[in-house]
Amino acid sequence: MAFIQISSLRLAAAVFIGASSGNAQSLKPAYSFDEAQVFLKTYCRTCHQGKSPAAGFNLARIATTDSLRDHGQNWNSVLNRVRNGEMPPKGTPAPLSEQREVFAAWVHEALRTEACADGISPGPAPVRRLNRTEYSATVRDLLNVHLDTGRMLPADGAGGEGFDNAAETLFLSPIHAEKYLDAAKMALEYAAKDPRSRAKFMIASPGPGVSPEQAARKILSEFLPRAFRRPVDESDLQVYLALFDSAQKSKQPFDDSILFALKAVLISPQFLFRAETPNPAQQPRLLDDYALASRLSYFLWGSTPDGLLLALAEAGKLQDPEVLKGQVARMLRNTKSFDFVQSFTEQWLGTRALGQSIRPDAKLFPAYSADEELQGDVRYQPVLFFREIVANDLSLLNLLDSNFTITTKKLQKLYGLNIKPATSAPKRIDLPPDSHRGGLLGMSAILAVSSHPQRTSPVLRGKWILDAILGTPPPPPPPNVPTLEEPTGAAPRTVRELLTQHRANPACASCHSRIDPLGFALENYDALGRWRTEESGKPVDSKGELPDGTKFDGPDQLKTVLLEKKGLFIRNLTNKMLGYALGRGLTLKDSCVVDNIVAEVERNNYSAHTLIDSVVMSMPFRYQTGTSAPVPRSPSKVSAQPVPKKVGDL
Amino acid sequence: MTAMQNSRLSRRTLLRGAGVGLGLPWLEAMVPSFATAATKSSPNPVRMAVLYMPNGVNTSMWTPEGEGRGFKLSPTLAPLEDLKSEIIVASNLWNKGADTGDGHYVKESSILTCTTISKTLGVDLNMHGISMDQLAAQRVGDRTPLPSIELGIEPEATGVDGNVGYTRVYGCHIAWSSPTTPLAREINPRSVYERLFRASGPQESSAKQDTLLLDRVLGQAKKLRSQLGTSDRVRIDEYLGIVRSLESRMERASNVTKSAWKSRASIDSAAKPTDAPKDHTEHVHLMLDMIALAFQSDTTRIGTFMFGNAVSGQNFRFLEGVTNTHHEVSHHSKDPEKLKQYHLINRWHIEQYAYLLRKLKEMKEGETSVLDSSMVLFASALSDGNSHNPHKLPLVLAGRGGGRIATGQHIAYAEDTAAANLYVSMLDAFGTPVERFADSTGPLPGVLA
Repeated sequence: MAFIQISSLRLAAAVFIGASSGNAQSLKPAYSFDEAQVFLKTYCRTCHQGKSPAAGFNLARIATTDSLRDHGQNWNSVLNRVRNGEMPPKGTPAPLSEQREVFAAWVHEALRTEACADGISPGPAPVRRLNRTEYSATVRDLLNVHLDTGRMLPADGAGGEGFDNAAETLFLSPIHAEKYLDAAKMALEYAAKDPRSRAKFMIASPGPGVSPEQAARKILSEFLPRAFRRPVDESDLQVYLALFDSAQKSKQPFDDSILFALKAVLISPQFLFRAETPNPAQQPRLLDDYALASRLSYFLWGSTPDGLLLALAEAGKLQDPEVLKGQVARMLRNTKSFDFVQSFTEQWLGTRALGQSIRPDAKLFPAYSADEELQGDVRYQPVLFFREIVANDLSLLNLLDSNFTITTKKLQKLYGLNIKPATSAPKRIDLPPDSHRGGLLGMSAILAVSSHPQRTSPVLRGKWILDAILGTPPPPPPPNVPTLEEPTGAAPRTVRELLTQHRANPACASCHSRIDPLGFALENYDALGRWRTEESGKPVDSKGELPDGTKFDGPDQLKTVLLEKKGLFIRNLTNKMLGYALGRGLTLKDSCVVDNIVAEVERNNYSAHTLIDSVVMSMPFRYQTGTSAPVPRSPSKVSAQPVPKKVGDL
Repeated sequence: MTAMQNSRLSRRTLLRGAGVGLGLPWLEAMVPSFATAATKSSPNPVRMAVLYMPNGVNTSMWTPEGEGRGFKLSPTLAPLEDLKSEIIVASNLWNKGADTGDGHYVKESSILTCTTISKTLGVDLNMHGISMDQLAAQRVGDRTPLPSIELGIEPEATGVDGNVGYTRVYGCHIAWSSPTTPLAREINPRSVYERLFRASGPQESSAKQDTLLLDRVLGQAKKLRSQLGTSDRVRIDEYLGIVRSLESRMERASNVTKSAWKSRASIDSAAKPTDAPKDHTEHVHLMLDMIALAFQSDTTRIGTFMFGNAVSGQNFRFLEGVTNTHHEVSHHSKDPEKLKQYHLINRWHIEQYAYLLRKLKEMKEGETSVLDSSMVLFASALSDGNSHNPHKLPLVLAGRGGGRIATGQHIAYAEDTAAANLYVSMLDAFGTPVERFADSTGPLPGVLA
């Protein structure tokens, strides 16, 4: 077994907020190996035993505690199939959904404990192409052109932890080949006409004492290592010089000839793909400095390494923890880090869809719909807020609640605020105690993406909190259970009344009793996030109660409850950050790393820099897994050849 | 040299591969063998398009009354009245592969593959089959400048669905060129137009140079390949595969003697559509125009179009009588008001389908129309969206497929007849016959004339 993928089950899915009485942050469900065996015997043994068990899977394979180590993959599929309700099959006695969850949570935790017992490992780092935003930024930095060339490329889907930089979902269609060719042509033609841009890459020209070949060699020798993000040798250079020559032979001017060769660079896989030289050894090793420079720059800038990073790589200094930390700080100060902040925040929170697939209804919100500036202000608020936290190394708990926010004049008007400075450019303001605008949950962007276009939905908002904030998305509704809908018929009832009725159905209640109350607490915000005290002539009821008896009324009290769950929040945010940094879905092994990072962040008062530093210093980020064998499962193999320790290994 | 002489794969091998989907080497080996095996009967090429509507239908308003030729259109299908003789409504077909799993993704992504997809947030994404349009494209796509076009309206959905545990990539694609390769869609009508224009127009002078560039890229990539591990090589090979096919397309196009293809209608560079449609309806019309244009000019013969992504929350309040979004109303809970709105949204989609059919019908080629030479399938991957049901799929096939399709009927099949059987018949009419596709049991009786 190489890496068990955490598919639909999130790391902290063991615990649903308020799912039962007791400490919701505890990660130890009261369950034992023996109880898990009883569960399996009760529901699975009829088919999965004997000489020809169903699907060739005999329960005997997972009957001992060693099986958690030796047959982890089997345990993992049992976990997924039980949790997804695929097993036991229709028509056979089935456990209640609560029993499924407890069982699944126990299996997950047991596998995790087993995985962590081996120590940590770097995990996979598959080759991946640049996504369209990385492509744009890379071309921009290579040629110093301010042109969004990536716009020509098809949009990328998301995988793993929910980001479009996940290697697993960066597919290629035939249209990519056409578009890469077009984009390269466009970027170079544009760059060749712009003096600022030319100065960046047309660093030589033929003239007295300089032959065209010499000039071309000089340009390509400088350009190729930047484009390929690592040194090149003479044979690499020859390929592109030959293209230059062939253009020269067909009587093309110098400029056209060199641009022709550069175009080839921009469509070569070395440029379009990030590939790391594989580690031939079985044991993990430190990444080579150039690969680390690329990982770092695509994490914190979404773009290609700059001259300083490449110089540090050449000097072999980048793996030095002090140097590395210095670079992280420098990179976060650079304006290019905005690409990272925007990509990360908008995809983590789902606000990228705002204005695209999610649009507040134009008839109900005409002023908003007609005002593109306001739409931009709304959409950028969470991004700029997160940037403020990162730039000033503030506590990440500000995301849950804060006494400041970022607004513009128009946002303030939308929020009914009047606080200096109120400018058309976004500015940080201090919030008065009763503003209800602290943290992410006070922001229009968040409140709108968790609403229908025409009305609020406590279900969608509750689900959003469980998923985006706490990292404990509820399981899907059981098949054939109708979803709750808003009142449309002759006897209008409130959404709350309908939801109450809905929860009377036990099949619905098990999840909705923990989803809906969270959303109710936000009912004072309309579908655009404006404050309201009445809805359809009735006072807004923003009271909620979780199954464990936790009660709250309104967003301010809800935030207090969420702050009590900060452990879940930080773990979720860490998962997202690590998944984004690595550009792949996390594995069980990674969850051990996440444990360490979470502890470090907690020790440092939830500092934003600690989170980012710890991710960069972590083993999956700085190391490379061995290629010739799967990661050793047996602890003895790991201890035989311990991975070289450097300061800050997490 | 006949088509079959240089065949490196037997027909049997090919048929076995159908619906299972193999990697690139299979395609490379196969393309030359079938490149000239066109149907000789019709002077006009056969085209095939699929229009996909997410979120299912109000089943009580969908099914026509009566069977055979004397059927009466249902309220939802009423906009097809003037096209009744051009369509087949096929009832009771289902997608067995999709009869599992949670929510939309498993059903909607597999509408044209008829397979059961792997549940994943991304790693190990797998359809376990290719879509029927791509099966056709891989066999005859090299006869036209573009093998196929994939169009849509909604941008690629962001994020993964932690609720049901699928990456939303699944919900954004119905065209799969390999079990692990969704084809990127274009959603900007102007960009599609420009692509069609360039692909069908005279080759630019730089084309020859570009071919050289692509050739060098392929050569240079060998070195990179040799440095990588096996699984990473696969990704690089995918890239080399698309570069190679672009190169051979450009070579064919620039070599007039080698190219049998001629544009059947010129594309006017001045008639570019807007890249910022004013509303949903205009956007849909413009994208459908692009399919019509592609078919008329013969720039491609295969196209798929997605009205929305799976679970589309498209706001349909612009329709009189509709107060909800698409996905929301599809979960009607049998509320009569919601069911009415659901029907109105469904009917709007049928109106757009009729718009395309009329457009194709107006495009004359000799004695007949482009519609006569086309097969345009309207499909949803769910019947009742309220229960995510993949039984009794809403399917309408229009156009006579060059005289091969027996239009003008409503055919009610035995319940749970494989939708893949319809695809077997369509692939036959298209000139790319297969014995089997996914869970098919044979052609669908009554469809072929």
